[in-house]
Amino acid sequence: MTSSQMVSRDGRDGGLPVGEAGAAERWAAILGGTALGLAGARRGSWAGAALMALGGGLFLAGAAGVPVARALREGLGEAHLPDGLRSGVAGLLPVAEEPTTTQAVVTIAAPPETIFRFWRNVANLPRLMSHLERVDVLSEKDSRWIARGPGGVELCWTSTLDKVEENALITWHTLEGAELPHRGSFMLAPAPGGRGTEVRLTLVYRPPAGAGGRAVSRLFGSAPEQQSREALRRLKRLIETGELPTIEGQPHGTRGTRGRMQEGME
Amino acid sequence: MKALCWNGVNDLRVERVEDPRILNPHDVIVKVALSSVCGSDLHLLDGYVPTMRPGDIIGHEFLGEIVEKGPDVRYLNRGDRVITVSIIGCGKCWHCENGDSSLCDNSNPKPQYSEAAYGHCTAGIFGYSHAFGGYAGSHAEYIRVPYADFNCFRVPEGVSDEQAVFVSDAAPTGYMAADMAGIRPGDLVAVWGCGGVGQMAIRSAYLMGAERVIAIDRYPDRLQAAQMKAGAEPLDYTRVDVFDALQAMTGGRGPDVCIDAVGMEADGYDTGLEYWYDRTKQAMGLESDRPAVLRQMVECCRKGGTLSIVGVYGGMIDKFPMGAAMNKGLTFRMGQQHGQRYAERLFEHIRKGELDPSYLLTHRLSLEDGPEGYAMFKKKTDHCMRVVFAP
Ligand SMILES: [Zn+2]
Ligand SMILES: [Zn+2]
Repeated sequence: MTSSQMVSRDGRDGGLPVGEAGAAERWAAILGGTALGLAGARRGSWAGAALMALGGGLFLAGAAGVPVARALREGLGEAHLPDGLRSGVAGLLPVAEEPTTTQAVVTIAAPPETIFRFWRNVANLPRLMSHLERVDVLSEKDSRWIARGPGGVELCWTSTLDKVEENALITWHTLEGAELPHRGSFMLAPAPGGRGTEVRLTLVYRPPAGAGGRAVSRLFGSAPEQQSREALRRLKRLIETGELPTIEGQPHGTRGTRGRMQEGME
Repeated sequence: MKALCWNGVNDLRVERVEDPRILNPHDVIVKVALSSVCGSDLHLLDGYVPTMRPGDIIGHEFLGEIVEKGPDVRYLNRGDRVITVSIIGCGKCWHCENGDSSLCDNSNPKPQYSEAAYGHCTAGIFGYSHAFGGYAGSHAEYIRVPYADFNCFRVPEGVSDEQAVFVSDAAPTGYMAADMAGIRPGDLVAVWGCGGVGQMAIRSAYLMGAERVIAIDRYPDRLQAAQMKAGAEPLDYTRVDVFDALQAMTGGRGPDVCIDAVGMEADGYDTGLEYWYDRTKQAMGLESDRPAVLRQMVECCRKGGTLSIVGVYGGMIDKFPMGAAMNKGLTFRMGQQHGQRYAERLFEHIRKGELDPSYLLTHRLSLEDGPEGYAMFKKKTDHCMRVVFAP
């Protein structure tokens, strides 16, 4: 995870960032001995680093079970991509063969209407994605997204809605000129046994090959599936409890060099 | 304010730190009156919990007075004398709504650690490492409590501070051990470990209808407390073979319910070769928990019986007798305590005189004596059961 991910109410970082994948991995390894350590490493990399490897196996397989994911993937054909991306970002990088699909899913103890309403109001979205500065509504279908990348670099893109099914589905794609074109879907389905609503967020994008992970990170603030996951976690927490848990600003004793290093890794 | 901070393995220091403040709308600030040590803190001190940071304030079992509250706190007021359940629930997620608040989805601000290690995130716990949220603990003059309406419980009239403080953690943990074991009238229950949690488990087992409770430990004073205060039949595992003794006491059937109130801190459970096998592997980082008690429970338990585990485990165990467990048809129940489910019920038992946790408190010290208090608790010197700090 990146440090941009878990911002407390007052906007300061309270979360677990890039190095966090490493920290969590280590924790798993220490706690779990060898076997769980390996499991932790797999999850850890999924959680952060090996972006390219990931779009493949696990997540694509998960997404394949969802018709909309496939449709989205097909929809993001080469023809839809702007020239700049077809030949790699700024023409410097080769383009990856396959678009990457990431998906996150969470169950929220609330009816679909509540969740749909929250997401449909795009002004709420910066509360879910820490790198997002704001989302401006341009028209019924279009919205302008303004994000801050590392070092305060401003990133902008325009998204347009494709499908909106009340309390069930929202899909969108970025318009020409986006630095990293992507499509997304937000699906809601009732969970069994009165458990609330299953929420599925799918993103399909075509990462530039090679050093492309960096471009992806610039746009999303971190690995996209990690971002999606974190966005859904915050959505769940805000809807269920009305707040995001935090310890940012609580007292502690002298951290010392080691404590500061540990803090820095978050 | 003063606070007892972890600085490294077996290195606690009393420091001056900032006072806590309200960070979220459902928070309260509690002025701590009593704050108990707990056996599970020893994992932190010994360095078995890798996400501790120098400067972390420890302690999770406490009682105090509400001195400040966030704008969305509805049921609590300044001046309320409360205990706080040590494991934090949000009160709104599906688990909390179903009474399983230690499985809360929302209370851990750093869920990534436990997701990586366990597959799903754990709840937050006060003063119990960053994997459990990194919340500042209660060995301090003040503490911030999130989701306060759900986690704080007003102490009723007729319940003393010394009784109530353990409703934070030790009492509900022991009570839950007995509750989830599904004890039926006539059952014979064996409890491994006679620390605070074990003592509470013994008493709770009787409250739920157990016919006899056998308490297993090695420390004479703890066995004596189990016998005198909780009514158990004591068994010193250094003097008898536990399996043989339990079979002899149960007509060869074995106990109907076996409760693990020890966990990975099976300290001094050095039953020869097996202990050293686990200890060595643990030291090498190959095995994080020592399961000697678990193995013994599987062997001793009657066929079709229940193992109820409330002693804390953190990671992997090795050489688990799965064949015996499977072929004997054992049931395993386990978990961190869901104290929010039990607090009111425990206060009722205390008021009626059916349960009195106050005898757990053997030493009342000031916060300044924090390091000495833990040393005493760890080495169990001076018949120490629980040290409670009064800041
Ligand atoms: Zn405890
Ligand atoms: Zn909860």
